Amino acid sequence: MAILIDGNTRVLIQGITGAVGSFQTRIMQKYGTQVVAGVTPGKGGRQVHGIPVYDYCAGAVAHHEIDAAFGFVPARFAKDAALEVIDAGIPLLVLTAEGVPDHDMLTIIHYAAAKGTTVVGPDTPGLVSPGKCKLGVHPNRVLLEGHVGVLSKSGALSYEVCKTLTENGIGQSTVVGIGGGPFWGLSQESVLRMFQQDPETKAIVLLGEVGGTMEQEAAAFISENMDKPVVALIVGRAAPEGARMGHAGAIIEGEEGTAASKIRALADAGVRIAYRPSEIPLRIRELGV
Amino acid sequence: MRLLEFQAKRLLAEQGIPVPESRLLRSPSDVSGIPLPAVLKAQVPIGGRGKAGGIRLAADQNEAAAIVKDLIGSEIRGYPVRAILAEAQTEIKREIYLAVLLDKRANQPMVMASAAGGIDIEQVAEQAPEQIVIRHIDPFIGVPAYTIRCLAQALGLDGVGGFGALLSRMYSLLGSHDATLVEINPLAETTNGLVALDAKVVLDDKAAFRHADLFASLSEEQEQLASRGRGADPGGAQQLAAERGITFVPLDGDIAMIADGAGTGMLTVDLIQDAGGRAANFCEMGGHSNAEVMCQAIEVVLANPRTAALLISLIGGMTRMDEMANGVVQYLEHNELHLPVVVRMYGTQAEIGRATLRDVGIDTFENLPEAVERVVALAGEQVPWPY
Repeated sequence: MAILIDGNTRVLIQGITGAVGSFQTRIMQKYGTQVVAGVTPGKGGRQVHGIPVYDYCAGAVAHHEIDAAFGFVPARFAKDAALEVIDAGIPLLVLTAEGVPDHDMLTIIHYAAAKGTTVVGPDTPGLVSPGKCKLGVHPNRVLLEGHVGVLSKSGALSYEVCKTLTENGIGQSTVVGIGGGPFWGLSQESVLRMFQQDPETKAIVLLGEVGGTMEQEAAAFISENMDKPVVALIVGRAAPEGARMGHAGAIIEGEEGTAASKIRALADAGVRIAYRPSEIPLRIRELGV
Repeated sequence: MRLLEFQAKRLLAEQGIPVPESRLLRSPSDVSGIPLPAVLKAQVPIGGRGKAGGIRLAADQNEAAAIVKDLIGSEIRGYPVRAILAEAQTEIKREIYLAVLLDKRANQPMVMASAAGGIDIEQVAEQAPEQIVIRHIDPFIGVPAYTIRCLAQALGLDGVGGFGALLSRMYSLLGSHDATLVEINPLAETTNGLVALDAKVVLDDKAAFRHADLFASLSEEQEQLASRGRGADPGGAQQLAAERGITFVPLDGDIAMIADGAGTGMLTVDLIQDAGGRAANFCEMGGHSNAEVMCQAIEVVLANPRTAALLISLIGGMTRMDEMANGVVQYLEHNELHLPVVVRMYGTQAEIGRATLRDVGIDTFENLPEAVERVVALAGEQVPWPY
């Protein structure tokens, strides 16, 4: 099972003919991901790594069953590319671009909601269900198939934590990078709901950071709706107020944005708190998972 | 980009929203011909100007010149005053709060309004939240007429002309200029209708590519007329980072830090603190880095003279570690190191990268906590700044 993607997921890559798109597509293919089509405007009719390329998503969906799209598209073109995927009726879209304008994100989120597409990102390395399907740019060797669901705002932090889990023999069901905000297609709460319903996921690791109120909303959801155990690591404990810490959404504006406030809300909801990656396998073991 | 008051009001006026007649002053000699009696307002990028003495009244030109002389060069809440907006004093019947913004919780634009205008809206939110009215706006529909009627009633503006047009214009400014906030506080009800007495507009930097000329001219104006807060940028590191497009946040410790991700960068700063050290900065290169960026990032963080050691914290996704090591070597070819450097390196081509660094005598670690402990110990052995 896992969530969002598994061994049966058929993938379309937007921007497949570019240097990064082509390179990462090959790595995903080698991992076992079923990449069935690519799209680059003006490059239709070519092949990349044996994958047929189309000018438009509409052309690709006319010839292939597609479950998910992965976009290697720069931020300034992200809105148009996303609307095209949504319009083609593809149910899952991963938006990797960093720096998508806020108004564009609102348009994407609203159009996706109206048409039934789930959007992951922006500013995300993507997601991976280890051993089944990789729709992302995570380093392969930090991943291990297993039963712990991981969700993270930060890509690199999820690599760090998966590395620690994997070194301790703790595998992952699905690793979801929701992105750096400040607007998110998929919230922590939505991912938690999916993990709660996934029979293969036995425990969840939530990796959060300063800024906004999403962790508080996740805490409220956990305390009311979840019986699976959650371990959380919130970074930015030493971050000053009012400074943007690399991610568009990682800025402390008011008490709720601080790491301390988020840690308190999660702890009050029964979440086990880790302060460094090395503590996460210990918390998981304590749970007997 | 947070606009200065006069810039925000210029945008409002361009949309047809009424603002007081005004002039921008740089020195006492600029006062001839200003509207009188005048309100003189220091143009600094921070709230609470009034309480800090940044807003004064002048009955005539002489009084205005004296106030300008007094204010120019003074500091308001840490910001030196370099320009003053002189506005015609307005007869006010009452003051209202009105803002349109992007709501991060609801993923929607929203209108926020209160009949309790003129004061800090956060204070109202805390003490009398029932006085704030919020209406979310569907981005595909815009502001419907019934929402305007409903807000007018809540604000006691039934029958006051111009409210609907004003709100619609604020909303269209939000979209057309990629603003994330358009706030009028106070919005004054006067005998001549509604007037925007103060305004705050924040534009989305991520959308600068759509408004290149506008962003360039606004930035240039801000550089001339407003200045950063004092003492915040030792060695000009922040300025250098801004020029190179590298994320850099100055902190108050002595361990310089560079990471290849925002989350791991924050984690590294936290772990330095847990180990008894203090980071001198937060610096992040992003996930698609190369040798050139690595070299530039070292130049940025070491421009700050208050550094006793450097920790480079890398866990590549797309970034190649051999490239990162080459970036460090590139820095060493042109600079002499005056402090110890510790590198945490893991990920694609890490073996090659670590070998390259070993050859130039730099400690590398595969695990982050070990690297942090090492750099905190090394920083502790250094002679504290100033030397």
